[in-house]
Amino acid sequence: MTKEPEQFIVDGKRLDGRKPEDMRPLTIEAGVLEKADGSAYIELGGNKAIASVYGPREMHPRHLQKTNRAVLRCRYNLAPFSVEDRKRPGPSRRSTEISKVAREALEPAVFLELYPRAVIDVSMELLQARAGTRTAGITAASVALADAGIPMRDLVASIAAGKVDDTIVLDLQKEEDQLGGGDMPIAYMPQKDKVTLIQMDGNFKPEEFEEALDLAIQGCKEVYEKQRKALEEKYTKVEEK
Amino acid sequence: MIHVEKRELVIPGQIIAEGDYRLGEGVFKDGDNIRASLMGLADERGNKIRVIPLEGRYIPKEGDRVIGIAEDDYYAGWILDINSPYQGRLSVSSLLQRKIDLDKEDLAKYLEIGDVVEAKVQEVDELMNVTLEVTDDEEGRISGGRLVEINPSRIPRVIGRKGSMISVLQGEGKCELSVGQNGRIMVWGDERRQVNKVIEAILKIEREAHISGLTDRIKEFLQKESKGG
Repeated sequence: MTKEPEQFIVDGKRLDGRKPEDMRPLTIEAGVLEKADGSAYIELGGNKAIASVYGPREMHPRHLQKTNRAVLRCRYNLAPFSVEDRKRPGPSRRSTEISKVAREALEPAVFLELYPRAVIDVSMELLQARAGTRTAGITAASVALADAGIPMRDLVASIAAGKVDDTIVLDLQKEEDQLGGGDMPIAYMPQKDKVTLIQMDGNFKPEEFEEALDLAIQGCKEVYEKQRKALEEKYTKVEEK
Repeated sequence: MIHVEKRELVIPGQIIAEGDYRLGEGVFKDGDNIRASLMGLADERGNKIRVIPLEGRYIPKEGDRVIGIAEDDYYAGWILDINSPYQGRLSVSSLLQRKIDLDKEDLAKYLEIGDVVEAKVQEVDELMNVTLEVTDDEEGRISGGRLVEINPSRIPRVIGRKGSMISVLQGEGKCELSVGQNGRIMVWGDERRQVNKVIEAILKIEREAHISGLTDRIKEFLQKESKGG
């Protein structure tokens, strides 16, 4: 366990030197896998994740088909080597829950009604986990969906806001997440101005909640610009080859 | 009013126009705005607006010519894999263009599982049940030749404007082609070397689909190769 620092914010700077409203360095690359229909690689601070998309394709088993729309099937998975102590492979209570909320965060963006009886498989593999994996996963998955040529209303960008030393900060790092006062990941569609995921642990006063939500939405808009750039770069890069 | 340049790369959710347009593929209406639903190139022609997709699976559309592979049979026909999330159904009477006595004849005589068929999409219902037919324009069961599979979103480039690319491939490549909208292409030729070259050219089109001057490059590619041989 990490030792609790006496103060999270000294002279307006956080443990890793960021200001409260800064996020960790973020890089996204689209189209990294050859065999998947769409894919994306993301690094958010120490987090590393690959998202892949297959589909739309025929749904098996057939009793899970929906006759009026496609099914979005999400899988969030931590690699055994992604955390400090080896993680026992396989689904867990936590990863099952995150798979569900990630699906619900992405579903409103996808035109599922265009593909009745089909399935779109989305997988988020976390290679290295350092707090904020669900937001990294959702951000990458949304880029992978666009890369697969799946019709969407908007991209989904995701980032967390939180509270340390009674200050609202963006994109918690590991120590802040584990020992800080609260954590609030959100997913957001910037063009539609709609929040598709909001979770919270810790205690927030109503005005702190408002402040955190605003900060996280600002953060999502920053993430969105990186997503857009990643998708554009995929095609400008090919041209140079 | 249009918000993007011609052939600009757009991403899902991006506003591409405002006001009265006819909507093609890859766009949707959101109040007054018209937004892209796909990543692709914005294209405006007359008052019709659409996004040309760069990726994506084949989704059957009425009237499309497709190349299917028989996967299974049912009492009066076959189920074809058409390189899509949905399978196509082809009845024996449509394939033969006549009625046959199902009690007396064995369907395997006309089409075996694994056989390749050129057909047309006759109907797609709201549940995406796909009915195929063989008319006078389609070959039906295909024999000989080589089958190539590419990304269905690149098929318009293989055909070219008013069929310009396909005539280059057939003329310079000395081969005969049948192009299915579902990303499958049949190539027939007398010489195996020629067939290989045309297939290489098709794969080149798939890789370089978004770079302009493609037809000329393919022409050059086929001419250069045939001199060397």
